[in-house]
Amino acid sequence: MSPLELVGDFDRIAQELRGSRPIASPALRERVAALKPPEPRWTFRMPSRRLVLALAVVALLGSFVVAGVTGLGGSTRSKSSGPASAVQSTPPTRKAIGSGAATKAPSLGPVALSEANSVAPTAGRLQRYDATLRLRVQNVDGLSRATQRAINLTRGLGGYVGSIEYATSGGKRGGATLVLRVPVANIQAELDGLTDLGTILQQRTGILDVTRRADRESKQIAELERELAKASPQEAPAIRAQLATLRAKHARLVRSARLARIVVGLATPPKQAAAPPSRFDRTLDDAGSVLVRELEILLYALVVVGPLLLLGAAGVAAAKAQRRRADARLLERT
Amino acid sequence: MSRLRRIDAVQTEFAEAAERHLDDVHAFLVYLTGDRAMAEDLTAETFARALERWRRFDPRRGSARAWLCQLARSTALDHFRAEDRRRRREGRFAATEQREDAGPVFGEGLSPELEQALARLSAAEREVVALRVVLELDGEVAARVLGISATACSTRLSRALQKLEKEVSAGVAA
Repeated sequence: MSPLELVGDFDRIAQELRGSRPIASPALRERVAALKPPEPRWTFRMPSRRLVLALAVVALLGSFVVAGVTGLGGSTRSKSSGPASAVQSTPPTRKAIGSGAATKAPSLGPVALSEANSVAPTAGRLQRYDATLRLRVQNVDGLSRATQRAINLTRGLGGYVGSIEYATSGGKRGGATLVLRVPVANIQAELDGLTDLGTILQQRTGILDVTRRADRESKQIAELERELAKASPQEAPAIRAQLATLRAKHARLVRSARLARIVVGLATPPKQAAAPPSRFDRTLDDAGSVLVRELEILLYALVVVGPLLLLGAAGVAAAKAQRRRADARLLERT
Repeated sequence: MSRLRRIDAVQTEFAEAAERHLDDVHAFLVYLTGDRAMAEDLTAETFARALERWRRFDPRRGSARAWLCQLARSTALDHFRAEDRRRRREGRFAATEQREDAGPVFGEGLSPELEQALARLSAAEREVVALRVVLELDGEVAARVLGISATACSTRLSRALQKLEKEVSAGVAA
């Protein structure tokens, strides 16, 4: 039922009210007709939704372009060109020169030993040889074969295996470390054979000439023997002990110069590193990270400002409600 | 040049709306204020405001008549508030101030009983009668103009009409 129908005499009243409704006077019509529009003032108008969308797209594209041009975030990225760079240098080579003093010279890279840098022993000199080789083999089977071949080679050249460490992981990757001792005369053949076992990743060869030291020790031994021959029975035991120590030391020196020490490291290729991202991918990542950062800032701002906005909105709503009630009271009184 | 053309277009559009809805706005304000002279002033003030804000009017959100009535109500409320403050400032004198108006207020040709009955209604009751009965706005639009729900508008109209009929009957009986 319409509220209008609640009143029995409604039709008559409504007709009377509509038939006698107030009409604006000619003076009022003239006043309204004489109204002039105010001079248009500059007012801030909220941009349309289309404009906001267009601006958002432009900002997104802009961030892509800026990120691409400046390479944002790329500065911390490694410029490494791949696993090969891991072996681009080798430790300095120690090589005896003439007088026997040890000097250091930089190696030029992972190249096989050739005649140019031959480590063949020098005739008539007493030299201590020390070499390190790091080789890469294809796979675990190759690792096993290379290890076996290194052992056979060493034994074939009159040497022996000081120690072996062999390990595999998951049947796909593995490594072995061999400490080999070979006669100095065969060191060149040993190194040539070892370099054939795989790809050389690193090599170091050190030669220390100990001829002068051995000569000095020999002279000292000869002097002590002469002293012992002239010594009294009281002095003889001390000289004899000194002589024994010196002879043992000299024997160790000569023995070390007779057998070269070679440390061989064998390893399968490391786990395939992910391909470096392309410039486009980096740009996408960078733009994405910029957007994520912006979202973080926005979220942070919302978390901080949100409660204040809520309080403000509640205040505005309360003020509006209060004003509406005040207006209603005012209209009731009027 | 384009600025002038824009001003002309606004004025033409507004003039048409004013011509079409002037009587409606005036009638609404007469009912709301219960005072012809005040209603005339407020009508002129309403249209002055409307001309200033004409750019903000969006026909998709409602008719020009409803928008003008809303503006008229807000203008009248501003006036009532100012008058209320003035009365409070001036104290007792304002409280005893009497209206000097001898002629019919709510329209020429109304029966004296109905005229008196309307005068006895509050402004809140008269404005809903004006919107729903005189201007024949539908419930939703009238509620939007008054800033209340459609249900509240319906209830207020029902009470206003019952009161009006009661006052008219009492007047006839007297």
